[in-house]
Amino acid sequence: MMGFDLAALLGLFGLTSAFALVGLVLAGWMCWRIAAKAGLPGWTGAGTILLTVTGIGSLVSLILLWVFAFMRWPRDGEPVRGAAASAPAGTTPGAPAALPPPPKALADRRGWTLAGAGVTLAFDDGRPSYRLTGEGTGAPDELVVADPSVGRPHARLLTAAGRIGLEDLGSPAGTFIDGARLLPSHGPRDITAVRSLKLGNVELALSRT
Amino acid sequence: MITVIGWLIGLGTFVLLAILIVHVLLSLLLIVPSWRILERAGFSGLLSLFHLVPVVGPFVVMAILAFSDWPNGEGKRVRP
Repeated sequence: MMGFDLAALLGLFGLTSAFALVGLVLAGWMCWRIAAKAGLPGWTGAGTILLTVTGIGSLVSLILLWVFAFMRWPRDGEPVRGAAASAPAGTTPGAPAALPPPPKALADRRGWTLAGAGVTLAFDDGRPSYRLTGEGTGAPDELVVADPSVGRPHARLLTAAGRIGLEDLGSPAGTFIDGARLLPSHGPRDITAVRSLKLGNVELALSRT
Repeated sequence: MITVIGWLIGLGTFVLLAILIVHVLLSLLLIVPSWRILERAGFSGLLSLFHLVPVVGPFVVMAILAFSDWPNGEGKRVRP
């Protein structure tokens, strides 16, 4: 009887240890991926989980989780460098920020076309900025994408010397660049090399005319 | 005898309630940072409530973050 109890106890410990080991490896792998997705080295995530098996215990891991949640992630990109700083003197705060000039002057003076979902919008760098909106008011700088999911206004297009930028204006349905969400906090982003935009539910392809 | 049984049932209920409260409080320590991480990744913060599920809850939250495409972008800058 005693031997049976001991065997059962050891079996329980073995099973528990096996589950703990599987859980530890799984958690370490997932935390590696999560850290990498945030732009951090993957080993920082896995290392945080491995700390729980050391004498330090899980308290440090919990603290690191809070730090991770509220720290700045490398993934959080910065706005186009100098976009706000290079705004022409005398412009009012909140006015469209101009894109900085390219390293070399580009001779390409072709315009741009946004096309998709039955909409074709042509524009060039004759204006420093355009507003993408779901409903037009007749303003010359408007590019109208008539769709309920497109905000009024939705986003701002910035043009400068062959380059083009995009800034989300807080639209509820969101703005996406090649599938990645653009938030208002990201500021204007250079989309010169981007081929696919999404305003709300409307997919638009960006190309040179 | 009935009094003793009633007393034991009452004690058991109290212990269960205490365990539940402690579990919720400990889960909150995970829910709050997870909520922010999920929202920064582009998911709903409500998914962090999976932490309330004992044992497997934290694994579910980690799996969502680890194996789903983050709507707000991953790893590299959104800017091309």
